[in-house]
Amino acid sequence: MQPIVSTQDLTKVYGHGATAVHALRGINLAIQPGEFVAVMGPSGCGKSTLLHLIGGLDRPTSGKVMIEGEDLTRLNDDQVTALRRRKMGFVFQFFNLIPVLNALENAALPMILDGMRPNEAYQRAREWLERVGLGPRLTHRPSELSGGEQQRVAIARALASEPSIILADEPTGNLDSRASEEIAMLLRQISSEWGRTILLVTHDPRIAAYADRIVFLKDGQIVDETIMESRNGDEVSAVVGKMKEIGD
Amino acid sequence: MNLYIKLALRYLSGRKLRTALTTLAILFGVLVIFGMNTFMPTFVQAFQTQMMAVAGQIDVTITHKTGEAFDPGVLEKVRQVEGVKVATGSLERLINLPADYFDHAPNLPDRVNAVLLKGIDPDLARQMIVFNVVEGRFLQPDDPSAAVITRSLAREVGVGVGDTLSLPTAIGIADLKIVGLLPERALPGNEEVLVTLAEAQRLLNMPGKINLIDINLDTLEEARRAEIQQRILTAVGDAYKIGALESGSEILTNIRNAQMIFNLMGFLALLMGGFIIFNTFRTIVAERRRDIGMLRALGANRATIRGLILTEGLIQGVVGTVAGLVFGYLFGWLLLQLIVPVGQQYLNIKVGLPAVSPSLVLVSSIMGIGVTVLAGLLPAQSAARVTPLEALRPSVGQVSLKRLTGFSFWSGVVLMVLGVAILISGQAAWLGIGAIFFVGALILMAPALINPIAVLFGNLLALLFARQGTAQLAEGNLSRQPGRATVTASTTMIAMAVVIMMASVLSSVTLTFIHVLEKSLGSDFLIMPPTVAVWGSNTGAAPELAQKLREIPGVELVSTLRFAGSQMNGVAVGLLGVDPRAYRQLDALSFSAGDPESAYRALENERAIIINGVLAAAAGIHLGDEITLLTPTGQQVYRVVGIATDYLNAKTTTGYISQQNLAVDFGRNEDVFYQVNLKSGADQAAVEAAITQLLKSYPQFKLFSGKRYVEENKRLLDVVLLSMYAMAAFLAIPSLIAMVNTLAIGVIERTREIGMLRAVGATRRQIRTVILSEALILSAIGTSFGILAGLYMGYMAVKAFEGMGFPMMYLFPASGILAAIAIGILFGALAATVPARQAARLNVVEALRYE
Amino acid sequence: MSVRNAILGLLSQRNRYGYELLQAFQAMAGGRETWDLKPAQIYTTLLRLKESGLIAEDETCSSELPEKRRYAITAAGREELKRWFETPVRVEPQRDEFFLKLMLALATGQADPRRLIYIQRASLFQELHRLSTLRMELDPSTSLAHILLLDQAVMHLEADLRWLDMIEARLEEVRKQPIPEPEHRPRGRPQKIAK
Repeated sequence: MQPIVSTQDLTKVYGHGATAVHALRGINLAIQPGEFVAVMGPSGCGKSTLLHLIGGLDRPTSGKVMIEGEDLTRLNDDQVTALRRRKMGFVFQFFNLIPVLNALENAALPMILDGMRPNEAYQRAREWLERVGLGPRLTHRPSELSGGEQQRVAIARALASEPSIILADEPTGNLDSRASEEIAMLLRQISSEWGRTILLVTHDPRIAAYADRIVFLKDGQIVDETIMESRNGDEVSAVVGKMKEIGD
Repeated sequence: MNLYIKLALRYLSGRKLRTALTTLAILFGVLVIFGMNTFMPTFVQAFQTQMMAVAGQIDVTITHKTGEAFDPGVLEKVRQVEGVKVATGSLERLINLPADYFDHAPNLPDRVNAVLLKGIDPDLARQMIVFNVVEGRFLQPDDPSAAVITRSLAREVGVGVGDTLSLPTAIGIADLKIVGLLPERALPGNEEVLVTLAEAQRLLNMPGKINLIDINLDTLEEARRAEIQQRILTAVGDAYKIGALESGSEILTNIRNAQMIFNLMGFLALLMGGFIIFNTFRTIVAERRRDIGMLRALGANRATIRGLILTEGLIQGVVGTVAGLVFGYLFGWLLLQLIVPVGQQYLNIKVGLPAVSPSLVLVSSIMGIGVTVLAGLLPAQSAARVTPLEALRPSVGQVSLKRLTGFSFWSGVVLMVLGVAILISGQAAWLGIGAIFFVGALILMAPALINPIAVLFGNLLALLFARQGTAQLAEGNLSRQPGRATVTASTTMIAMAVVIMMASVLSSVTLTFIHVLEKSLGSDFLIMPPTVAVWGSNTGAAPELAQKLREIPGVELVSTLRFAGSQMNGVAVGLLGVDPRAYRQLDALSFSAGDPESAYRALENERAIIINGVLAAAAGIHLGDEITLLTPTGQQVYRVVGIATDYLNAKTTTGYISQQNLAVDFGRNEDVFYQVNLKSGADQAAVEAAITQLLKSYPQFKLFSGKRYVEENKRLLDVVLLSMYAMAAFLAIPSLIAMVNTLAIGVIERTREIGMLRAVGATRRQIRTVILSEALILSAIGTSFGILAGLYMGYMAVKAFEGMGFPMMYLFPASGILAAIAIGILFGALAATVPARQAARLNVVEALRYE
Repeated sequence: MSVRNAILGLLSQRNRYGYELLQAFQAMAGGRETWDLKPAQIYTTLLRLKESGLIAEDETCSSELPEKRRYAITAAGREELKRWFETPVRVEPQRDEFFLKLMLALATGQADPRRLIYIQRASLFQELHRLSTLRMELDPSTSLAHILLLDQAVMHLEADLRWLDMIEARLEEVRKQPIPEPEHRPRGRPQKIAK
């Protein structure tokens, strides 16, 4: 199967000469359709840079980024933008939403930017907002929503345009632990129930633990990788069933 | 709704005050330009309608190009042209009536302000125009003191056939017996009083002269008529023209000048608006870097971002322009309402609604919207360059700013050198560009200069707030963010520059005008006609009146002005005839070139002329040039012996020649204006009584005490100046508020930092001081630059006025500078007050959480 | 200790039979998985409590079978329960096997310490993933107590992961320092050696 995202010897250097900072040193990473991958590492390890390069927000110094077989580094700004619009959904730590637009309009924004008819865009945005549990808050402005709710809008926005991959950069970095847990669970749900591909960058092990695979980054290199063995569903529900029984 | 429009509207309405202010600037510019230009065509049209109406049933009317009277011999030449059926000469003159002349009721508006006295040849005239006498009889060839008027005039004045109509004329009050009535006047224009030609010549003191030839042709065929017209023109010579007398052309010129000044003001306001919008958008882009980055990350391409910012500009431009058009229409309408009395008084023009031509709407709209969009272009471009990463990483892009600082600094230096060079070279034509260079240079140099200046003022403030150590912090904040500081400081700079420029111009204008006013009208008594703006419409008095004035005991000197219209290289010139000796004694002229002594002597001895600055500028004449004036008797060469201005004629193209020459070349010898000086120790009251008695037969004149008139004029000038100050405020206040706005934004953006200061133990008081210091440093930078720019612009403006021919004296606007510094400090403090209080009151935790 | 006090607490709610106590304890402690208590342990504890006079047998329905006996708390029992509530629970310092493994790897050079860290981390994450998945199945509106208990485990794992990160970050420094060795202090009975 062709991976959604693959990088080849991806390198990013900031600055020149003696002050040069090697943010990434030859990253080779492939993300398969439907995978939920978390990138972890200490701050400054280059994990955000990796996400930015994959998202076409920044240009690599060398190496390639392939999105569904298309080399991102060969496209010009407008082409990258269009690709971002159609194939990627972003969720960031801060400033996720445009403050002057309400939840519905924010969620519909990428589709409208892509030239979709507003009615259709709003219809889809509404469906996704309802799915992430924001049905009753469609017309609220970001300032009227809690941090967790704002992040949900951002997730709905990322999902609504039916992208190939969702790129989340520390989506819980600005949230309390309860809201973080909820966002993490939502991401898990998006992956297992709705079959989306997710690339998550985080430094929070608790959030990363929801992923199918964790990639560890250190000093701009992948140092380790862990694939989670999910217990099969039956076993899980058996355990839960037993616990409930005891509780009663 | 379109995404662009929706986002733009939301963002705009999020900042209502700022939006309103920027829009206001555009509104004002469009208002002035549109208003003035709707008013003008309406007025001109009304004016032309009157001309057409006068022409009536006559095929061709011939007048002298100067509008002056000429010898009836020309009539013969016309009659000999093949194709001319009838030609008749007449003498007509508009007689302005003093206020309440007929109704004697000061409370009621006068229904008749002026009548046209027309002397005709009764027999020939009847061959051309059908005069339907409805009552009484028509004029007869020899019919002294008889007049025929329309029934409408008779009704307005309250007379009938057999009654007497008294009119002020050059030889005093003339009593005319009404012998017949014509039907009511249906056409616009002044009511006519028909008398015989001989009678008109007597009443107007123009014996043997006519000023109008009416011609009927023997064909209706267009081509042939044109041919005949051409032949007539060839026969009479190029001193004559086809078309009626334009007694109102002077007023038209005045209005045209005013229109030009207003257009300039409007343009200035638009530029100002453009700059404010430019600055606002720079702030907006800085403010919204993260939003823009986010949009980019979500898939908005550069064009979309550019479009978004431009749409915002466009909306403001469209709203501002539409509102400007509406208010401009009202403005034009208001002006017309103000001008209607004037129009009726002098021209009997019925003025309609302001004329709105599609092209004017188009041009105004293009200007209003164009300026806004243009101003938004650069910020939109820089917004489009925001990378999506900037939504995530705020510190990107600092490096490039530094590099830019160096480049812009040096281009600023180059521009500054050019600007100063232009100033030193004294080339008036280049001064405008010089001013633009100068301001541009300051804006370009500002980022690089912010640092050292901030340090300088920071140290100053550090001395003031020595114990708190906050000034350094403020200074540090500024030099860390030169971009934002520049935006703020340059807004302040422009605001201050406008204040200083206005102060320079206004103080210089005031000084000049008061000087000229006192000099020109400094005599003991003034005897004035109804209007001093439009000499040609005044009915003067024959020389006897001046003589009688001189005979009053106690009178030492009587100086009179006489008037004749002329033309020079196609430029209309108002000629004032003076008695060189008497006029010299009054010393009424302020010379800007030439020596008064020799100039007056030359006036006495030869065909010499003193011209005023406006004429010199308009026709490009220099001292010592020989100019050719068009006279009723042909062309005459005059030598320019001086360039000088008096108060009454400062605005119009005017030349001063001797009364002797005026009589010889232009055949005019009626006095329209008198200045009377008393012997020392004379009984002022007795003289005044004597003059008043004398003027009873000349109701067209009014007696003023010189001092009182000067006082009155000063008051008038004050009113004018006040309105100009209001204009200045109109221009300056939006930019001052823009300055407050940018200062305030600077504080809001740093909420987090302030929270941190509070957290580490800064007191509320210290926070307030930091913000106040910062605002003060910024406004100090802006003000000092603004003063520099303002001084240059003010000097330039004064020079420009001088270039236009006004005898300007440049007054260094010391009080203006003080005012600017005061305003700078005041607004700086004001700008800091609200945010400083907010910042001080800020909840530390919330501030730290602020992003 | 805690089983004894838990029984006192459960009896302070109401009088209970021995078997009932076992079930209530397990439900409260988070299921058999978390704390597998043998019935025998309950009955020995009950016996000891009775001897100490902290609980008494309910005479109204006495029976020979231990599971059919019903117990009630005494005044002394309530006193003891109160003391327990007011004493903080002491956390015992961890005897960590991984730490031992790491030190030995460093000392012997038989294994790559970094590799040890990665293996351990993968395992911890695996456990964390398991608990997270488990946690997702629970409905917070009814099973909050269980979620909180899971959270405790999650957080311990989290702490361990952080600790691993820290070790990883400072591994080079640790390597440079001498491995902790026993102090060569005279031990035991020197007299014997002398003999």
